[in-house]
Amino acid sequence: MEERGKRSSAEGMESAVGGADDVSEEKVFRALLDSFPATVTDFKKLRAGVLRARIDRRDLHGACVFLRDSLGFEHISMISAVEYEGRFEVVYHVASWKHRLLLELITTTPKDDPSVDSVSSVWGGANWQEREAYDLMGIRFNNHPKLERILLPKDYLYHPLRKDFKGGD
Amino acid sequence: MWINMGPQHPMTHGLWNLRVKVDGETIVDAQPEVGYLHRGIEKICEGRTYTQIIPITDRLCYGSSLTWSHLYCLTAEDLMGVEVPERAEYIRVAAIEMQRIASHLMWLAAYATDLGLMLGFLHAMRDREVFIDLLQALSGSRLTYNYPRIGGVAHDIPPNFERDSLRACAYIENRLREYEDLYEGSRVFMMRNVGVGLLKKEDAINLGVTGPPLRACGVNYDLRKEMPYSVYPEIDFQPAVHPAGDCYARYRVRMDEMYESCKIIRQAIQKMPKGKWRVVAPRNAPVGTGMGRVEDPRGEGMMYIVGDGTDKPYRMKVRSPIFVTVSAAPRMLIGYKVADVVAIMGGLDMCIGETDR
Repeated sequence: MEERGKRSSAEGMESAVGGADDVSEEKVFRALLDSFPATVTDFKKLRAGVLRARIDRRDLHGACVFLRDSLGFEHISMISAVEYEGRFEVVYHVASWKHRLLLELITTTPKDDPSVDSVSSVWGGANWQEREAYDLMGIRFNNHPKLERILLPKDYLYHPLRKDFKGGD
Repeated sequence: MWINMGPQHPMTHGLWNLRVKVDGETIVDAQPEVGYLHRGIEKICEGRTYTQIIPITDRLCYGSSLTWSHLYCLTAEDLMGVEVPERAEYIRVAAIEMQRIASHLMWLAAYATDLGLMLGFLHAMRDREVFIDLLQALSGSRLTYNYPRIGGVAHDIPPNFERDSLRACAYIENRLREYEDLYEGSRVFMMRNVGVGLLKKEDAINLGVTGPPLRACGVNYDLRKEMPYSVYPEIDFQPAVHPAGDCYARYRVRMDEMYESCKIIRQAIQKMPKGKWRVVAPRNAPVGTGMGRVEDPRGEGMMYIVGDGTDKPYRMKVRSPIFVTVSAAPRMLIGYKVADVVAIMGGLDMCIGETDR
């Protein structure tokens, strides 16, 4: 996989976003740890080009700005909210096109205060996805420009992806 | 003055609403509104077994259902650690490229009627049938195929499938050249396309636009090349890119992509090895997460499944490319006339099934 990746990068990315020096998985890890030593944990390489890290929600916005500006993660792929026993997790899949990396950034928020900082000012593509997470899972995103329901009607009372929501009539 | 274009409007291609604020005829603000077709697919999937979900993911988008069930199977395989036989991978690649051509032809047909070229609609819809027939021979149904399986595909290719696929590729390549003459020879089509709906490269990247609208901004980014999955690394093709960033560039990118898809189908058919096309997948998934990421005809499709050791997923999240792309629509619309809305939104290839889920 490594070898294939490199070959097509040479021919494919010339006209793309712009050249930059190669950032490897270890470099991302070290840079994140150096900048946020207290809050970044559980760094793991899942497979070639796919990484995972956990971050405390206090540093989420700062880490996202750092990822975009210093490490070249310019694209937010997906924001998913997952409910676990006693906590919510918000999973950000952030991609770097220059360096062909995908980072799975997980942040945790307690059940009695499900809120994290909005990253829609960092990546505009996060705007609607955060509204969706608010709509279906009830996570509040601080400083979001327009945190309203998006898929369900405005007067709907529940957050249906929570496990205590029962369907039916 | 705010105008509602939708939820019942010939421009919308599905149930959604575009609110535009106009000053005279010029658009000064826009608000897309979605959610009319929300079926709660992510919640439905939490109550179904892994196998039962395959036909549900087909219903995410009727225009390219095979890419979605393929993406679901990729994600479930990542979660369960299943290795797919090589023959199945080549069958999948050939099938999803046929699906890509069928999806782009449907877009081309709809786009032609949007811009007053009824002849284009009839021709493109007729030629789409060629690929629908091939996929029907492969899977047994016309639009929602239920063909990929976790660990391979449902059955082997039918007799004469190689011959029919190669014929279809040769046929469509000739027809595409005729379409180019027909569309680009039409002055109305060109006047409503060139220089309309400009999107800057930086905006496209920041707003999360993917797929043909992104490559039409001059960004050479195609997940089949950049983060290869399945057997795409073995196949020689070039992603279609156009620098202009307007509606014409989006049209051009999709046309070029169809030529490339023909190349991919030919190679996949020729390189297809003999052997098994399916392995048995476990019934229960382990505790953990699986992630899949593919280049859908409309952009970057992505799924994230959390398994909890049972035969049903604990949580399944779908990333729809059009859901994110349409949130960038105001950036393309503001400053143009109301009459340009049809060209701009038509050029995005909206699919409401996957947007609302």
